[in-house]
Amino acid sequence: MDLPAELLISLHPEPFEPLELLAAWELAAQALAPLAAAESHFIGRVRPVAADGTALEALELEHYPGMSERRLQDLAQELAERHGVSRVRLAHRVGRVRPSEAIVLVTVAADRRGPAQRCAQELLEALKHEAPFWKREWSGGVGTWVEGNTPF
Amino acid sequence: MPAPEATPTITVRLFARLREQAGWGERTVPLGEGVVSAAEIWERLGLGPIPLPAPLRIAINQQFAVADAQLRAGDELAFLPPISGG
Repeated sequence: MDLPAELLISLHPEPFEPLELLAAWELAAQALAPLAAAESHFIGRVRPVAADGTALEALELEHYPGMSERRLQDLAQELAERHGVSRVRLAHRVGRVRPSEAIVLVTVAADRRGPAQRCAQELLEALKHEAPFWKREWSGGVGTWVEGNTPF
Repeated sequence: MPAPEATPTITVRLFARLREQAGWGERTVPLGEGVVSAAEIWERLGLGPIPLPAPLRIAINQQFAVADAQLRAGDELAFLPPISGG
């Protein structure tokens, strides 16, 4: 039987540097065993334009403390099992996020590229719809709640 | 002497647009008598008509639930507007 996947999930009220999180995650893995043959990485950043085309000052992310963390954990666990991957690293911003700052990092390690990429993609789509986060765009000093997600 | 039995209550939480529309984010609400569902609390608090609008989701004790799920004293009931994460 395969070992359960190792999951590391974090919410960040302050800016995070995705490449630093990745480096730390790989170092920690390397200390225990050879790195997996395949890794898929996704970094999502805040675009500088609001849905109505105006310049975006910031994206505010509200969450449901407790439930948001638990849902991310459950989604990662479920998808890691389904795809048979070995490790998942997920970081998500909350609070006020400025354009070009990272909002989400999804990294999956597996023995093969297929499971690594499929799991990362499904996890990203799942968290957009199945974990309680709400975006509000701030533009010209006015906040507008975003309901729904940008096109895939 | 034991304290008289307290009125059973639940905690209701609102998020994002719903919280701003209602003007509150968290409230302790008497459960009332009989079988009480999330949808009944939604209507009783004047949050909107029932059935609840489809894109709205419900969580009981931080787990997704259906609108006719029965509430128990001490539950945390949350109404969640459409999710936009990632």
